[in-house]
Amino acid sequence: MLLTRRSLALAAAATSAISLARPAHAANEPLRIGWLASLTGASSAPAIGFNRGLIFATDSINAAGGVKGRKIEIITRDTQGDPTKAVNATQELISQLKVDAIWGPTNSGESLATTSIMARSKMPNLHPCVVDSLIDVKKYPNAFRIAPSNSQWDDAVRGYALKILKARKIAVIGDTTGYGVTAAKASAEAFKKDGAEVVYLANIDATQPDMTPDMLRARDAGAEVIVIWSVSTGMIARLLNTRGTMAWNVPCVGHPSLSSGEIASLVSNKSYWDNVYAVGYKSCSYDSAGKLPTRTEEFVKRLTGKVDLSDTLLWWVAAGFDAINLVAKAVETTGSSSNDAIIGYWNSLNRYPGNFGNYSFSVEQHNGYPTDEVVMSAANSAKLGAFTLAPGYS
Amino acid sequence: MLSSILASGLAIGAIYALIGITYNTMFATSRVMSFTAGQLGMLGGVLGSMFILRLGFPLVAGLAATLLCCAAVGVATEFIAVRPVLKSLEQHLYVLSTLAFALLIQQVTAIEWSTEPQPFPRLFGIGSGIWDEKYWLPVVTCAATIGALEYLYRRTLIGRAFRAVAEDNFAARALGLPERNLRVASYALAAVVGGLAGFSGGELMLAFFANGSQLNFYGFIPVALGGLGNNRGALIGGLALGLFQQAANFMVGGIFASVAVFVLFIIVLLAAPQGLFGSTVARRV
Amino acid sequence: MASDRTLPASRIRAAQPSHRLASLAPFLAILVFLALLPLWGNDYRALIGTRAAIYWILVAGLNLIVGFAGQLAIGYVALFAIGAYTASILAAGNLMTEISPALALLAAAAVGAGFGLVVGLPALRLRTFYFAMTTLGFATIVTQIALGWQSVTGGGIGLSGPSLPAPFDSAWGLYGLCVGLAVVATIMSANIAHSRFGRALIATRDAEVAAEANGISKPAVLVCVFLFAGAAAGLAGGLFATLQTYITPDAFTFDLSLLFFISVLIGGRGSILGPLLGTILLTLLPEIAAPLAAWSTFVYAGLLLVIVLAMPGGIAALLDRSNRQPLAANRAIVPNIASLGRLLGTARSAQNLTLSDVVLSFGGLRAIDGLTLSVRPGEVHGLIGPNGSGKTTTLNVISGYYRPQQGRIVLGDTDLPPGQPVGRAALGICRTFQTPRIIGAASVLENVMVGGTLSGRASFVEALLSLPRSHRDEAAIRQTARLALEVVGLGALEDVRADHLQHSELRFLEIARGLMLCPRLLLLDEPAAGLSATEILRLGTLIRAISRAGVAVLLVEHHADLIFEICDQITVLNLGRVLAHGTPAEIRVHKEVVSAYLGG
Repeated sequence: MLLTRRSLALAAAATSAISLARPAHAANEPLRIGWLASLTGASSAPAIGFNRGLIFATDSINAAGGVKGRKIEIITRDTQGDPTKAVNATQELISQLKVDAIWGPTNSGESLATTSIMARSKMPNLHPCVVDSLIDVKKYPNAFRIAPSNSQWDDAVRGYALKILKARKIAVIGDTTGYGVTAAKASAEAFKKDGAEVVYLANIDATQPDMTPDMLRARDAGAEVIVIWSVSTGMIARLLNTRGTMAWNVPCVGHPSLSSGEIASLVSNKSYWDNVYAVGYKSCSYDSAGKLPTRTEEFVKRLTGKVDLSDTLLWWVAAGFDAINLVAKAVETTGSSSNDAIIGYWNSLNRYPGNFGNYSFSVEQHNGYPTDEVVMSAANSAKLGAFTLAPGYS
Repeated sequence: MLSSILASGLAIGAIYALIGITYNTMFATSRVMSFTAGQLGMLGGVLGSMFILRLGFPLVAGLAATLLCCAAVGVATEFIAVRPVLKSLEQHLYVLSTLAFALLIQQVTAIEWSTEPQPFPRLFGIGSGIWDEKYWLPVVTCAATIGALEYLYRRTLIGRAFRAVAEDNFAARALGLPERNLRVASYALAAVVGGLAGFSGGELMLAFFANGSQLNFYGFIPVALGGLGNNRGALIGGLALGLFQQAANFMVGGIFASVAVFVLFIIVLLAAPQGLFGSTVARRV
Repeated sequence: MASDRTLPASRIRAAQPSHRLASLAPFLAILVFLALLPLWGNDYRALIGTRAAIYWILVAGLNLIVGFAGQLAIGYVALFAIGAYTASILAAGNLMTEISPALALLAAAAVGAGFGLVVGLPALRLRTFYFAMTTLGFATIVTQIALGWQSVTGGGIGLSGPSLPAPFDSAWGLYGLCVGLAVVATIMSANIAHSRFGRALIATRDAEVAAEANGISKPAVLVCVFLFAGAAAGLAGGLFATLQTYITPDAFTFDLSLLFFISVLIGGRGSILGPLLGTILLTLLPEIAAPLAAWSTFVYAGLLLVIVLAMPGGIAALLDRSNRQPLAANRAIVPNIASLGRLLGTARSAQNLTLSDVVLSFGGLRAIDGLTLSVRPGEVHGLIGPNGSGKTTTLNVISGYYRPQQGRIVLGDTDLPPGQPVGRAALGICRTFQTPRIIGAASVLENVMVGGTLSGRASFVEALLSLPRSHRDEAAIRQTARLALEVVGLGALEDVRADHLQHSELRFLEIARGLMLCPRLLLLDEPAAGLSATEILRLGTLIRAISRAGVAVLLVEHHADLIFEICDQITVLNLGRVLAHGTPAEIRVHKEVVSAYLGG
């Protein structure tokens, strides 16, 4: 008998912990926004940046009285970049905590798993994940992207390599993660389609201690530019160090991680980080005179003293800020926090002036970030989370 | 190109060999294979970077502090994860206790240090190209360590005592050797070897928390190839593995290199479960 | 044969049915709880419940490998991933024409079984730590291959999981399916656990040498279990892909592998309820302790360390109170020789064992140097001699642990193949060991039942499905084991954990286990060591009775009184050679023996 009682007690304890019953919505109920953040674990830097923007936006709105009297409440779930945890958290936010909209996840591996779960309950969802297939208005009419897709990144990188650097022979290098493999392959194919010659394509294990053989091969194949798709700062630094010791001044172009602050301490000589161009955004770039666009300038002024920009990227903070405002605006404009109202409002946006960019959505198009905003920036030019435009842009 | 594969292959192979020796040293006195071997290598890099770059220690002090901390971790391993389960060695509980301890080390490092690779200081600034210190430093360290261990084991009293315990635990105890203290000492010694591996390989592998599990696996392969407890076997196995791995990286690319290494490992193990230089199984009945 | 060996009805425990009900109660409670969950749950609870059910399907199989067979397979996420990818790829039609999701799930189970074998095979040759490392390596290369084989697996982008048709397309529909399959997995694993295969697994874990001597072939049982566990893991993976709706290589983390592995260990080795509770606990833990997300691996590792150091028995040991009462201190072993006839029957034809010119040397040392010996049925043959004279070595040669360099060993007219211990039991050769080799964690009865492994007729699949033949096997083995315990005088202790017994009782237990085979030849290695004078007397009577029932007994012993009391023939060894041979009376007056050995 004791066995039975014990196991029942265990079961009861387990259920009481997951059953926090929630009352139904009321007009003065807070506006709940779920936030699927990969705040700890291996790829936590973006989420930490987004989080700062998110909190800043929420605090500003709440301080001003909230949205039609409703305070904004952010419910954060740390998913650690694990798709399984992301799926659990998504379902919890939807079914148990009954949020009104969800921001995130912030990396594609998680987003791929959560998108169709959110679609099932038509949960309004904004996310900044790059994988193209994440946006599909037929399958996921509830999902909106407020950052560029991978092909927009790819376009910017390819455009810069072919049009501005005037390279014809391209080396493409990715790491051995899911993202690195896929992105490198897609990038190489797009280069070929545009008539360029991909002289070297490789996926390198990020822990490989020495990149010399790979770089030698790329050089021997006559590469005029090296395109890098990897989020591993260790690997990027090794590639740059190898390039430096080889005294081969070939431009490196690619993933935003090329501009990650970690690289500064990992390159053995500061100059090895020159001639490296990472994907960036016009809205968050200094022009040749060292000035940010006016709207961003004002945003940064508002952030000063409240949000630390020295160890993160401005666009993360800006996008997090915009995400909250997009939800708030939807509720404010339509007067409702129903799924249909929020999605309907987003579908009506045309060049909505965010701090990260001007977002446009329609029923047919949920890739809201303007392609012409995606540019290349000098990787080693970080100043308060923003970069200087790469040479060649007007 | 060949020369750079050789340089990095030998360098990384020397690190693997040192981790293999770490395994062997712990095994010798306790008959325990410990999952902490790789983590000690990781700590060598991380602590070295912390003491020298973050806290500004000079090289010698930084190295000493690193090795001291590693030795402390080694002793802690013996006390927490090994000693309590030695009674029931045949139940193999040590696999679990050392795995758990290794994971604790790794997680604390990930959270308290960083999940991104951090720079490791340039120690001497000697050499460039394939003669860069980051390539020869691990090889020299490995050679020096093996030499020192040989000297210790053959010429010194404590080294002979180690060997006596390693060869016959019961007999050694019967002779009045302080078997327990010798075991603690051997864990400290193993940790120092592991720490040296990480420290000397720091410039190559950076100060990165994930190096631990990496080294754990790749440092075990030399032990499996060279035969348990056989340091020379571990050296040959380690260098061979390093060269094979770098060559595979180059020939078949990053994705399939690890597959190639693993397949080779399985084939060799199944063909020669005692390793290529190992001795035969003990009596069972 | 079975009717011959029935016990008097009064001796069969009346308590059996209620005992079984009590052990089933926790499972039923969990099942009732799971059945009621939909009444007051939302989709989130359905998701967590489904996840726990899926994880348990895998752990139910893994439990047999880790918990029962003691093989440290820490990288089982590899098979989970293989199942997930197989189901998804086949349902999506990336490799061949698409098939229905239900078939895809079955295919996942089949492919999982195949790879279960591949992952498991190294265990047959490698030691624990080595095996643990190979499973770990396997887990890494599976994700690498999933990444590399982009045209089929979608590479880093991954692919959609199979979506099942109604009614399984809703959260609660899928929940129902997974819980149903989890129940099936539980029953199947329990069927195996409680069959001769389950006991064989535990025997290979805790007493590998004794398992071999009882005819248990470790490769044969392990292969079956690897197939089953692989199939369970593959099916679980397929269901996981359905639940996740989309899979990428990064879903199959080492953390997940740890969760599976630690579930078993938290639960306790050799238990089914324990690992089930462990799985539920570890699935819920991250949901309850959301703020601890960053420390989740740390918590897992800490749990593992605490379990290993503080409660190696896991949850199962906490729940198990039946073995906490101390045993009566004044208990006595009283063999019941009258029942011996019923136990041994006349099943086997009696045969001579003959060793001729056997030579075995270790390095330069000749442990056995031209030994010739004959043991006749119905006789007790004593083998004595000073330490190191080759007595135990002779037993090890006969039972196949050592392979002699020269000479023949013949039973009847068949040559015993040298160096093959597993085949000996089938020929009717059984033995005891100098240090008793028993399964401490199993009951006395189960230990004896290990000896009856060979008499079972039902195949692994029959046991898995609990078909009638398996039931008959079990009933017969159980009955014979009770009888054997009765014979050696341990009948009252059948439910006690074997490691609670005294040393002397273990010696009798080993004899009971040996008698399960209806042996032609019984090899006893110092059975009187550590016994009291009364116990030695009783042992002597028992051994003599066994031999009189037609069994050839070869007895290695130091106890001169016992030897001279019960032996019909005595061979005296010295330095691996026969020093003297004859009846007790002859040996007693043999000059060299007396001066060299008997010391008088």
